[in-house]
Amino acid sequence: MSVAAEAAADAAAETAAEPDAALVGIKVLDVAGTIATGYCGKLFADHGADVINVEPPGGFETRREPPFVPRVDAPENSALHAYLNTSKSSVVLDAEANPRELKELARGAQVVLDDGSFEVADFADLAPDVVVSTITWFGRTGPYAEFQGAGAVCWALAGLVRNVGPAEGPPIIAAGCGAEIVGGLTAYIGTLGQVVAREMGNASGPARLDTSILEANLCFTEVGGVGGYRSGHRGRRLGINRFAPTYPLGVYACADGWLGVTALTPSQWKSFCTLLDMEEYADVPQYQTAIGRLYDYDVLEPVIKEQVKDRSSWELVRRGQDMRIPLAPVPTMEELFVTDQYVARDAFGEVATATGQTFKAPSTPFRLFKTPGASGGRAARLGEMNAELLT
Amino acid sequence: MSRPGLLDGVRVVDLSMGWAGPLAARHLADMGADVIKVEGCVRFDWWRGWEATQEWINEGGAEKSSAFNMVNRNKRDVTLDLSTERGSELLKGLVAISDVVVENYSSAVLTKLGLHYEVLKEANPEIIMISMPAFGTDGPWQGYRAYGSTVEQASGLPHLSGNADDPPTMVHVALGDAVGGITGGAALMTALRNRHRTGRGQYLDLSQSQGLFPVGIQGILTQSATGKPPARLGNRSARFAPRGVYPCVGDDEWIAIEVRSETEWRALKDFADLPDLGPVEERLRRVDEVDLAVAAFTRGQVAEVLMFELQALGIRAGHVASGLELASDPHLSARSFWKLMEREYVGELPHPAAPYRQGDEPFDIDRPAPTLGEHNREVLSQLLQLTDAEIDDLEAEGIIGNKPRLE
Repeated sequence: MSVAAEAAADAAAETAAEPDAALVGIKVLDVAGTIATGYCGKLFADHGADVINVEPPGGFETRREPPFVPRVDAPENSALHAYLNTSKSSVVLDAEANPRELKELARGAQVVLDDGSFEVADFADLAPDVVVSTITWFGRTGPYAEFQGAGAVCWALAGLVRNVGPAEGPPIIAAGCGAEIVGGLTAYIGTLGQVVAREMGNASGPARLDTSILEANLCFTEVGGVGGYRSGHRGRRLGINRFAPTYPLGVYACADGWLGVTALTPSQWKSFCTLLDMEEYADVPQYQTAIGRLYDYDVLEPVIKEQVKDRSSWELVRRGQDMRIPLAPVPTMEELFVTDQYVARDAFGEVATATGQTFKAPSTPFRLFKTPGASGGRAARLGEMNAELLT
Repeated sequence: MSRPGLLDGVRVVDLSMGWAGPLAARHLADMGADVIKVEGCVRFDWWRGWEATQEWINEGGAEKSSAFNMVNRNKRDVTLDLSTERGSELLKGLVAISDVVVENYSSAVLTKLGLHYEVLKEANPEIIMISMPAFGTDGPWQGYRAYGSTVEQASGLPHLSGNADDPPTMVHVALGDAVGGITGGAALMTALRNRHRTGRGQYLDLSQSQGLFPVGIQGILTQSATGKPPARLGNRSARFAPRGVYPCVGDDEWIAIEVRSETEWRALKDFADLPDLGPVEERLRRVDEVDLAVAAFTRGQVAEVLMFELQALGIRAGHVASGLELASDPHLSARSFWKLMEREYVGELPHPAAPYRQGDEPFDIDRPAPTLGEHNREVLSQLLQLTDAEIDDLEAEGIIGNKPRLE
């Protein structure tokens, strides 16, 4: 066979074989139903694992989380719940009152996602290699272990609130449930790591893995923690969209929308000055470092604002990027779905509630080209798989 | 003690720089993978410093960056000048005996060097390779330059936070990087599982800006599921009151409080001696009064003390910590979250634990971040069987080295 024919045959064989998704054969139970376990389980489900939600009679708490899809009745109307739970099964079981049924459901499972309510022994009889992956706000030990958690509390303690917002305060908490999502995403790495370790023979037997959502969110601020340790200084909140040591950095109003600016290196600064016709600032010695420019915020900020306000943000991005300046549009939620880059990458798929109402939702942000994950799908109705999975 | 051997036998070539890529690889390193960071003496990791001068090099500036030292622990480091044929051959040699390659160059950099996936796949057909540029490896923005801040801007997330009258509000100097890093870790672990099961490697990419969409998921779904943009409420909530950040005793001291139930409200009202402001529907209507009353109380309280007092009553509260306080946080300390390790050029540095643990103690950390080219000799002799003389030649030709050089 010729080399070319061989290559063609190889490619044909690869496409014909339709490889299984990456996580096929992994069984996951979610017995907690928090946003964090939901997102962790979603990543498993999107990549082919068999994920079973074991919901209490009233359903998981995520079913009561906004936003809600209009004209759909509870408990199937949470868009957030639908997004988190496509490609999963749902059974209703009062798990604490039915430990034997719970064990049976967990038969052969590699992973149980938990919020600290269960013990490894609750599952291990019929699942000898099970990893009980417990995701809690603060971990299971330490002075905050019994604290009531919330995104606001977590991000405040993580140092992710202090530097946001007006200099005079109050500092601003970012909107939404990002803290839980970051917790679930981080737990996925550790949990799947345990599964892979067992399959590779690097670990064996049942185990518990504890993920602290607070500690997961320290990924944003650990550098600041070390900086604080070394300097002994607390640092100050500088104002909206002002973060040391980088300047200019921010979101600026243009004629047609918002422009995102970052100019960090000396050459980016010079190009930025050229782009905005403010060359007189390009070679000022103090402005050759980001922090030097930040000190002169009061001088530079009004100039930049003035130079961008009547221009097109999209045009500035195109021209700026040609000059190697990291500029980007700042799309509104409405614009996000039609932004050319996101359309080109199928960044949004379609999610359906159990009742079939569809809406757009983000696809997995990473792509495995040979074994792609699912994007979207329908969420299971509360207890939809009872007859199939409960004996 | 040493780090866990969960990923014993997995070798990673980490070509990535800055924050996101190195953080992705750090997760694998923390679980026991042999992560070999590859830099160059001219093209060193820009997180060591992006305003290099000869004076800075002479002072050892490239070894002093906290940020660099934070995301590169548990790794080995070799320098290879990838623009030379010999450097490029040595990299291919490393790839041939590895499982994973991580890179986050701007697009086209590796192609120009002749070291893109199609080439590295020839060195190792079953290699897993991840590219993690800001916007992904295809689409009209594939070549766009970006930092973590650019990624946050382009994700649209600034439209979700802050007060309605303020410009779209960013929440971090580089939000995209940290999320890009953990998203990359998740992608790599997924591909590792597939490779172990099937023996097949593959190419992966991720878009860091898409990585932020789940972080802003409620705002995105509000738009798509209801057809209306989410309201920007500052620190307030459409569901709970009080909910906000309130001033405490001292300079720039604050506490975040979120009251979710009537039971919690009654507990707060009694403890703080607040006026009766009605059930939650009424409190949401009278939220200005609610916030004033709560602030009038908190102003006389010490934030950290009040946090413990309110939490003891079952009320969600957390003091607004600074970086300085993170390093001495009593909870993180009790959990041995920070490990002090001696690092050449900087002395003792606290290193954050992996955020997942088995048992009460975190995974141990074997070693702090490597110095530039610290493991040149070790890696080149042990893994690529180079002789001392060959390594000396590489040094003499400047293909490897231990000091940064200006271009």
